[in-house]
Amino acid sequence: MLLDPRWFIVVGAAALAYGSLSPVVAARRLQFLAASLPHGALLATVLGIPLSSATGLPPSLCALTVGIPLTYMVIILVRRGVPEETATSVFVSFTASASIAVIYLVLTRYPSETSLWSYIIGDPLLVTWRDTAYAAAVSAVVVAMTLPFMREHVLLGLDRDSARLTGLRASLYDYMAYTALALAAIGLIRVVGFVLEHVLILLPAAVAINFSKSGAETVYNSVASAVAAGTAGVLLAVVLGQNPSAMVGFLLLAFYLTGLVRGGTG
Amino acid sequence: MTGEIELREVEVKLQEEVIIPRVSLKLEGPGLVTVIGPNGSGKTTLLRTIMGLIKPVHGWVLVNGEDVTGNPEAAGKHIGYVPQLSAFNKGFPITARELVESSLSLRLKPLRLRTPSEIREAAIRALGAVGALDYADKPISSLSGGQLQRVLIARALVWDPPILLLDEPVSAIDPAGKMEMVELIAKLSREKLVLVASHDPGIYARDSKLIVVVNRGIRLAGPPSEVLDPRKLAEVYGDSVMLVEKCVHLVDGHAA
Ligand SMILES: Nc1ncnc2c1ncn2[C@@H]1O[C@H](COP(=O)(O)OP(=O)(O)OP(=O)(O)O)[C@@H](O)[C@H]1O
Ligand SMILES: [Mg+2]
Repeated sequence: MLLDPRWFIVVGAAALAYGSLSPVVAARRLQFLAASLPHGALLATVLGIPLSSATGLPPSLCALTVGIPLTYMVIILVRRGVPEETATSVFVSFTASASIAVIYLVLTRYPSETSLWSYIIGDPLLVTWRDTAYAAAVSAVVVAMTLPFMREHVLLGLDRDSARLTGLRASLYDYMAYTALALAAIGLIRVVGFVLEHVLILLPAAVAINFSKSGAETVYNSVASAVAAGTAGVLLAVVLGQNPSAMVGFLLLAFYLTGLVRGGTG
Repeated sequence: MTGEIELREVEVKLQEEVIIPRVSLKLEGPGLVTVIGPNGSGKTTLLRTIMGLIKPVHGWVLVNGEDVTGNPEAAGKHIGYVPQLSAFNKGFPITARELVESSLSLRLKPLRLRTPSEIREAAIRALGAVGALDYADKPISSLSGGQLQRVLIARALVWDPPILLLDEPVSAIDPAGKMEMVELIAKLSREKLVLVASHDPGIYARDSKLIVVVNRGIRLAGPPSEVLDPRKLAEVYGDSVMLVEKCVHLVDGHAA
């Protein structure tokens, strides 16, 4: 059996990014955003295709340029007092409809440009070295924006008032968390696929919380479970001839169920 | 240094509704000041305004002479805070000790004042002072309300601030523990300015030098003997004032 190191690099990088992001989402209770973001990421990605051919810039750059401000839209709505569910519904309805419209356009106008399927179901086994370097860079930025600031995010999530009194610039950390989320969702969509993205954002921390007795352990276990599921998922996918994202998803689910059966912490 | 809080013509509106009409007030430490008032009367709003967390539509807030109006970072340099239990989200599994340590180290971060082992010792001392050592290494998500309140008090006093603002800090603590915590709060108020918001003025009455009764503004302020007069309180609280064995109790559904 031939194994390509690039598969492990891209999946490992994605796992590191999602494993670090996941405790931030759990601590800051950003699940509403995490669940709706993949829709925005898909829209940004498919929009990147025509934008790239119009501007000559790389599609990934176009996608990030469109997608990150698009994500801030949800936050601006929530900040203005729109309930999270409403803001999420508006965002999902808009981005889902718009991405289908753009996909239709892309399929009819730019037929051979790229495989849209890989954005939907994830395609880490078809990456080039260029894709690998891009995924690794995205992951490095996401990790750098999350792991070193975990303590700040946890304190802000517990009670924002006390955190602000300790001198934390709350909105700075808000934008950092949202940007990291958008970056991971858009930048790694090709690796993990739109369908599985929100599972990868939510499950590592959910797994970790069941297995951990402290904040430090939770963060460690989140990253560890994501990386373990990622690496084993690629191997399983090769052995079974299946899609790696599906395998990673099943493995994380298995970890989560194991944690539940063990009866939570302890 | 003991603390000093001054409100100058402060007016607070939340979503177009006036919660605090223009008030001026000066509180000087040391000593215990108790803020009482029914649910929704604006106790928490008053505390959050003092801490710069709410920006008044008019007026200034000075803490130890510094203008902290709408500036929590500035206010936080003088004030240790215990939030109301309902404002604290204990979902993430960090331990009590991690909570106290990380709050302290974040506060000291720009100065790098202490080593990790000193921070750890300070956290353990603070948790010991509130009787929370038994569960210092348990995740806060598994603590009872009263246990969590003790930990939150430890977090507020771990860095020895000159002013403490406590929002119903013992509401979930059992009766014996309550007396113990009130004693601790009274002891702290000998050196600091301590402001405590409560539904139950009775438990702090003996130790308070001043009681402030709020209900959409400051309705009454004075020493306990003057303020805890059922007839005067009835004007603020309506009929929900009971006299039980010479001790005023407020019946507002929330009081223990
Ligand atoms: N963020 C907010 N936006 C709008 N209105 C608010 C906000 N926070 C509080 N209020 C309103 O301000 C009023 C005062 O609330 P506050 O929390 O200060 O009362 P409280 O005296 O602390 O009550 P409790 O005893 O229940 O803690 C209430 O009517 C409440 O509905
Ligand atoms: Mg309150």
